[in-house]
Amino acid sequence: MAEPQPEKTLTLSQQYALEKEDKVGVDTKPVEVKEVENTVNATSEEVVAERDEEPPAASPKESTEVPAPAAEESSDSAPSAVVGGESSEASADAAETSNETAAEENTENAENSSEQEAVEEEAPEVKLETAPADFRFPTTNQTRHCFTRYIEYHRCVAAKGEDAPECDKFQKYYRSLCPGEWVERWNEQRENGTFPGPL
Amino acid sequence: MIVLEWLFLTISPCDAAEPWQLGFQDAATPMMQGIIDLHHDIFFFLILILVFVSRILVRALWHFHYQKNPIPQRIVHGTTIEILWTIFPSIILMFIAIPSFALLYSMDEVVVDPAITIKAIGHQWYWTYEYSDYNSSDEESLTFDSYMIPEDDLELGQLRLLEVDNRVVVPAKTHLRIIVTSADVLHSWAVPSLGVKCDAVPGRLNQISILVQREGVYYGQCSEICGTNHAFSIVVEAVPRKDYGSRVSNQLIPQTGEA
Repeated sequence: MAEPQPEKTLTLSQQYALEKEDKVGVDTKPVEVKEVENTVNATSEEVVAERDEEPPAASPKESTEVPAPAAEESSDSAPSAVVGGESSEASADAAETSNETAAEENTENAENSSEQEAVEEEAPEVKLETAPADFRFPTTNQTRHCFTRYIEYHRCVAAKGEDAPECDKFQKYYRSLCPGEWVERWNEQRENGTFPGPL
Repeated sequence: MIVLEWLFLTISPCDAAEPWQLGFQDAATPMMQGIIDLHHDIFFFLILILVFVSRILVRALWHFHYQKNPIPQRIVHGTTIEILWTIFPSIILMFIAIPSFALLYSMDEVVVDPAITIKAIGHQWYWTYEYSDYNSSDEESLTFDSYMIPEDDLELGQLRLLEVDNRVVVPAKTHLRIIVTSADVLHSWAVPSLGVKCDAVPGRLNQISILVQREGVYYGQCSEICGTNHAFSIVVEAVPRKDYGSRVSNQLIPQTGEA
């Protein structure tokens, strides 16, 4: 039963993989890592030949990603590792597209993911990113995913204070996942002290 | 000639239901492509069995007619043929089951992280869509209702019982996560061309992943009996990624301006 599954998903994802999309999926997480990436690769990217450009860009992403989620929750590190593995697969064909764009532009724009350029031209404030797939919730039923993200955010705020930047991502996630009506109801319940979850 | 047109032209490729339609709508996602391929795979075996069984049946009726063959045969046992007609159908079942399960499990597999999340909330009888990836607070989000256009208000070229006033705009060639839920009774968010049918259950969030491979307008209907106006419609409009970005930001700016 489980055996045909990985084969099929692999072939499907390979068959329908769009160079940009994999980048988008990967880019959801390492937003906070990007500054590091820039400083590391700023010099090398201008000089290095086309083929060598992508692998160094991918490898620091994976290596820097590990400490970043360790700050908040341990469960997040497992998905990020898997996603990182996917990115290295995708980097082969992603490299070709980024080569072309890099050749055209020839700028020192370090985050050279072609997806960002396309969006930035049109609307700088709209970035296509959303809550990533969470491997704690692999099924169709995502009810607890939404609920868990909501609780995670409020626990995070309770622990680190109202303006803690680490909590922002949880806020984005639960806003993406939960219907507005639910969030409003939960906010009311929290104010009244009748919220059913562990806060 | 008209009959011929009915027979063949009505199976015309389209992203909406047609009168007298016999075939599938055109596939716009890998999922729908998989469904169509599975259908054709199974149909191969189906026709094979149909031909074989009808041949046996006709042959038996022909040769063992009561006038031609008044004394019935008294064979009650035959090991060889019994083994054959046990093994052979199970092999056929295997050939059907393997691609079927492969498709089934690949369909609800979340392959990659999605780029956007859209929430579809069923009501009696309209859908509410929420785009809240770009929110800056809990209250404001890009939310709109999508009502079916009543028959009297249709303009020329609009599809009867299918058109809506606000379409769901999604970027093509992008991994989408659609979260389907309901605010009152059971509904079902179904778009045939996208190969998607997902029940909307109050108090539960169901997720479907879609990758629309080409730009277009895809029509669907509510597919769970939900009251008088059941089968109110769903329209998904896939636009290029750039247009999606500008469309969302255009709709966001006035909202954030108000707030």
